[in-house]
Amino acid sequence: MKHKRHLDFELNLIPFIDLLSVCICFLLITAVWIQIGSMSAKQAVGGQPASETKKSPTMWMYLENNGDIGLDVKDAHVPAKMARLKVQNKAGKPDYEKITSIVTDLRNLEPQLLTALVQPKAGSVYEDIITAMESVKKAGILNLGVSPL
Amino acid sequence: MLAQGILNQSALQSIVLETSVIGPKNQRLKRNIVADLLLTALIDAFSILVIFLLMSFSSSGELLMAGGIELPKSSQTVVLERFPVIKIDEGKVYLEDKEVKTQDLTAALMDLRKKFQEQRPGEAFHDTITVQADRRLKYEFMNQVIAAASQAGISDIKFAVLMN
Repeated sequence: MKHKRHLDFELNLIPFIDLLSVCICFLLITAVWIQIGSMSAKQAVGGQPASETKKSPTMWMYLENNGDIGLDVKDAHVPAKMARLKVQNKAGKPDYEKITSIVTDLRNLEPQLLTALVQPKAGSVYEDIITAMESVKKAGILNLGVSPL
Repeated sequence: MLAQGILNQSALQSIVLETSVIGPKNQRLKRNIVADLLLTALIDAFSILVIFLLMSFSSSGELLMAGGIELPKSSQTVVLERFPVIKIDEGKVYLEDKEVKTQDLTAALMDLRKKFQEQRPGEAFHDTITVQADRRLKYEFMNQVIAAASQAGISDIKFAVLMN
């Protein structure tokens, strides 16, 4: 009688499991769960005179030490009472929600308003500057800058 | 097929089988109580985990989370790319982990640009830096870095923040 050969074979899965377990352990240990992003601020660089620069609607944000924020819109078609505003602080902290709401209104009146410059004070906290930029970005202003002292 | 495989030869010779009340060895109705593990499903699950962890692997966070710096939080962020990093930690300024005096920062940034152009002649320098600073830092100090970057011709400053 002829000896029947087995054509089927079994894979030894244990080394696969070992390898995958080691991979998972390594990746879990080395994984960074905190997501870091960036907030971009553009700076004016170059020696072009201001008179030659094309004027576009710009909003200045003046951060005060007591939490008040002054808004000054330049070169934009907005009513005079909307062009210069002061947002009072809310319990000693800047009222960012109100800022977002005002800037959204300004953007509805002047859709070309796409630039905002933040002017902090020497005592302004870095976190407040970032939050101020965030509140403006929420309203659709994407070109942001921080003015030096 | 599986019953004659490696698992059957090794794993099924267990004490449980020998002493089981449900299926004692010396009784007539012998029942096999040791179940075969479905290893294929296990390997599938492991593979998915490995792929997920590999996809979420990032080195940028590791670069920027060193030290006791607490970054500010923001929801309006973009993905962080790798640019030269200026770190402000405990009153000291570091450019690419090398301590630099504030008054020398402009020169150090100019050197960085020069080195980049020497090493990669065809490529343009990005004119972008990443600033990593503690959320409680006063602008008085940050201003020195911004002014130095501006003087060195850096037109784009990316503030590293934690994504909300």
